[in-house]
Amino acid sequence: MSTEENIVIRTEKLVKSFGENHVLKGFDLELNKGENLVVLGKSGSGKSVLIKCMVGLLYPDSGLVSVFGKEIPKLTQLELDELRTKIGFLFQSSALYDSMTVRENLEFPLRRHWMHKTKDEVNELVMEALKNVGLERAVDLMPSELSGGMRKRIGLARTLILKPEIMLYDEPTTGLDPITGREISNLIVAIQEKYHTSSIIITHDMECAKIVANRIMILIDGFKYTVGTYDELVKSDDPKIKPFFA
Amino acid sequence: MSKQSRRSEFLSEVGNISAFTGKFFREGFKPRYEWSELFRQCYIIGYESFPLVGITAFIMGLVLTVQSRPTLEEFGAASYLPAMVAVSIVREIGPVITALICAGKIGSSIGAELGSMRVTEQIDAMEVSGTNPFKYLVVTRVIACTMMLPILVVLADGIGLYASYIGVNLKGIVSWNLYTTQVFESLTFSDVMPALVKTYFFGFAIGIIGCYKGYFSNKGTEGVGIAANSAVVVSSLMIFVIDLIAVQIADILGLT
Repeated sequence: MSTEENIVIRTEKLVKSFGENHVLKGFDLELNKGENLVVLGKSGSGKSVLIKCMVGLLYPDSGLVSVFGKEIPKLTQLELDELRTKIGFLFQSSALYDSMTVRENLEFPLRRHWMHKTKDEVNELVMEALKNVGLERAVDLMPSELSGGMRKRIGLARTLILKPEIMLYDEPTTGLDPITGREISNLIVAIQEKYHTSSIIITHDMECAKIVANRIMILIDGFKYTVGTYDELVKSDDPKIKPFFA
Repeated sequence: MSKQSRRSEFLSEVGNISAFTGKFFREGFKPRYEWSELFRQCYIIGYESFPLVGITAFIMGLVLTVQSRPTLEEFGAASYLPAMVAVSIVREIGPVITALICAGKIGSSIGAELGSMRVTEQIDAMEVSGTNPFKYLVVTRVIACTMMLPILVVLADGIGLYASYIGVNLKGIVSWNLYTTQVFESLTFSDVMPALVKTYFFGFAIGIIGCYKGYFSNKGTEGVGIAANSAVVVSSLMIFVIDLIAVQIADILGLT
């Protein structure tokens, strides 16, 4: 059950438009501590816009978006940067820094936020993060030498290195073969269990949703259409919900 | 596109570049300082541009000397060749040609690099990790450009003058000592200083325009090409505008 202390992310009547394109028209969402919430929606329905509003990459036109009770649009840059260290964001493209090796990619946020760490401690954290995603051997590779699945894993390791309390996944299995997609989905569950993270997973991959979701929220026409568990929604006869599970 | 919308687009672009420059001055002097990235950029912008700048300067010095000789000979002033070439290279040709070469090489590479980082969400990834991408990507590149361009210009001037010495000796015999004496006797403070000072502004313009175009690139991969291209076009134009302003200021200050 949602109680005030239990809610880590909340959006209320969130509105976001790009010119004449009204993407979110009053979206409400609550993410509870420790849960995996999957947001389902068609391509272009505003799922990625939603999570970008949660980390201050985009600002809503109106409505509330708060993380740990702090309203994102009202934060100063310094406060926002501090809050962002508690949020991990896995981009659809993984967004690895392609001029840096895997090690440098992982060290990048560490050296800026945990400056007191010694070289050995940094190395230990890098190797631990890579071990979590099963890619210790890739430490000295360049991103261009990695496969799509490896890039996702390294992207995940980079977000995990600062031990975030919230994870936001933007289509984590898109572009991957079913086996690798399943591995990434299982990794998301393993991360939730190991680090007790609260996560929002944006996807339209039903297998991923089935594996990772504690709750599923369906976004249609810029509004929250419904919310429920996978088992509840899969049995639904609603013509708007059925196509997602067909 | 109508004339009015083109004008308003131009004015908004000027406004955006001014705001971007303002942000550079606000962010540039606040810690945290990204020293290692700054040194890396100095290496890329300075050291890796040197071969191209050096070859261009050599050809420029040689061609200028060879082509100037007939005209000077016509007026019986061939002995002024080293002095004329030295003043031309140091005052104008060296700084402007070097800046244009750098606008092409450095401006386009900064525009393309930041543009591709933007479209592949790498800049967003830096931002959400709580790192200031403006400081890491923009401030370092602009400072490196501003610091490295004067050095490249001084080196280009030296290479151009040496090439000119070879050019002078293609159709005559002038000793190295006589050549250098004529060169340095012809150059004054008012030749060297304004030329050197304006190269800092050239470097700054190349850096800030390249970063601006790349940082705000959009439209996917097509946008990367547009960013690289417009970085070169706009920074080349800015070099001429700055040169024009520098000449006017030097004239007002009596440094001509």
